[in-house]
Amino acid sequence: MNSRGGAHRTRQRPAPVRFVVSVLATLAFPVLARAHLVNSGLGPFYDGVTHLALSPDELLGIVGLALLAGLGGAAFGRMALFTLPLAWLAGGLLGMTGRITVNLPTATGLALIVIGTLVALDRQVPFAIRPVIVGGFGLVEGLQNGAVAATGALPAGGLLGIAATAFVLVALVAAGAVAIGKQPPWTRIVARVAGSWIAAIGLLMTGWALR
Amino acid sequence: MRTCTDIAGAVPERTPRSRRRADGWARATGVRSAIRGLRLLVAVLTGITPAFAHEIRPGYLELREEPANRYQVLWKVPTAAAALGEELAESLGQTSRPITEAALANRREPCGCPSLWARPRSPLTVSIHPVFPPEVRPLAPPVVRHETDAELWTWPVQAPGDGLAGAEITVHGLQASTMDVLVRIVFRDGQVATRLLTPTAPVLVVEATRRTGAGGYLRLGVAHILLGVDHLLFVLGLLLIVPDRWMLLKTVTAFTLAHSLTLAVATLGYAAAPLEPLNAAIALSILFLGPEVVRFRRGETSFTLRHPWVVAFAFGLLHGFGFASGLSTLGLPAGEIPLALLLFNLGVEAGQVGFVLLVLALGTSFRVLEVRWPRMVQALPGFAVGSLGAFWFVQRTALMVMGWSR
Repeated sequence: MNSRGGAHRTRQRPAPVRFVVSVLATLAFPVLARAHLVNSGLGPFYDGVTHLALSPDELLGIVGLALLAGLGGAAFGRMALFTLPLAWLAGGLLGMTGRITVNLPTATGLALIVIGTLVALDRQVPFAIRPVIVGGFGLVEGLQNGAVAATGALPAGGLLGIAATAFVLVALVAAGAVAIGKQPPWTRIVARVAGSWIAAIGLLMTGWALR
Repeated sequence: MRTCTDIAGAVPERTPRSRRRADGWARATGVRSAIRGLRLLVAVLTGITPAFAHEIRPGYLELREEPANRYQVLWKVPTAAAALGEELAESLGQTSRPITEAALANRREPCGCPSLWARPRSPLTVSIHPVFPPEVRPLAPPVVRHETDAELWTWPVQAPGDGLAGAEITVHGLQASTMDVLVRIVFRDGQVATRLLTPTAPVLVVEATRRTGAGGYLRLGVAHILLGVDHLLFVLGLLLIVPDRWMLLKTVTAFTLAHSLTLAVATLGYAAAPLEPLNAAIALSILFLGPEVVRFRRGETSFTLRHPWVVAFAFGLLHGFGFASGLSTLGLPAGEIPLALLLFNLGVEAGQVGFVLLVLALGTSFRVLEVRWPRMVQALPGFAVGSLGAFWFVQRTALMVMGWSR
């Protein structure tokens, strides 16, 4: 009975299954594969993961946003979990068109100041502003990554790697912050201190960029 | 004094005809001017005065060995002018377009190095460049690409017969900057040497032997499993079919024991598995888990679902041979194998434990954030495991058959 039910479910959703299979097949197509990944075709995806791992300013922004979202509660955390990677991808696709350029150190520095300060202050961010902050940061960073992808220096699949890494990071850090939020109030200080550091680093970055 | 590798006469690639035609159209219709104006405005508004802003970002130099002793060089250097866009650079009276051979020949860097690196550039550009020993010869002109905030140079070089051993790679101009340069050399045997050059230490001497230190074997093991996405997918498949923590511990331990066993046996030379059938069999092991994940989600049962540790042990033997390929291709001297094996295996285990913890932490995070996945998304990991396993199995089997038919 179960297997019949399963078959029935499969027939009900042919399009999504076909979509998943085609996406996976595309990802696995051995283009631009390198060394270890020669048979997996996931080289571009790993390039994206590595790109983010080697970009501390982008990492700090993601961590800051996740802290801010987590301290704001599970709902804010969930919103950030999906909004940030999607905005990043959208920015990346937009950046690949080459129509918009952003000066990353200045933009990222300013974003770190805003995000870090909000975390340090530990104030509830108004509901309407939340997606603007999260989506704006993702869009700006995505634009830059997309512009890089357009030159061929970062494969287009790399954008997926970046978005996936951002998703994982936001999930882990935001959940940690939500857990902190449920502890005695003084534990929030840990997150607030981290926020102040992020703001300070943003200040340094911006100062350096504008000097 | 050592100077830059001399590749005078190396003129970067010309703009393709289609691009020139498109440029002509854009210029004639004024579109380009409008876009230029808009980009300038955006750049100025977001950048203000970004002079030397990019010095806080590191440069990147990669040498990837392709045929023996032939390396593909990738040099990425942050450029503030590029960040502002070509248009702003041009508006400042600068250009980064290809210039003539004669013009290149007459140019010098502040360090005295000749033509290759001496290009007209905005005063905002960071002035650093790598220098190789004279015996490392360039084989083709560099190709220069512009990113929004960096320039990418790529060109092939030929190292002498004994390779890069003992070669001194310097980054000129680094001492006068505040930035670092990450150097990464990828050898043909898969070994990777990475070093960070800083203003106080701008010189890298490539080690005389390619042997990694003890830490190198450990890192190699970690990298082998973390980059070996097929191994990770198999572990993910196992995680998706275990019902509780105790069974998870048993299953992961069985997999670890099995692959450690065959890794040791293969590395010590007591047994060997031909790579192509092995890769196909590993893919088959992943494909095998796909339907099991689906069964588990439906609440059905099977031998695998009742005893996942048995399957983990059986397929772990295969995966161990796969891990062994990561170590055996290095061509280690016999005396070094036991230590290398131990550390490599520890690295593999560390990577595996890290991955398992990451997946568990991710599951916990979703619970804390109260994420409710639609049924289709819940099924996605199982389909990913099965589909990728099927794809790789077909692909690797085809490769194997094609290899036999040659």
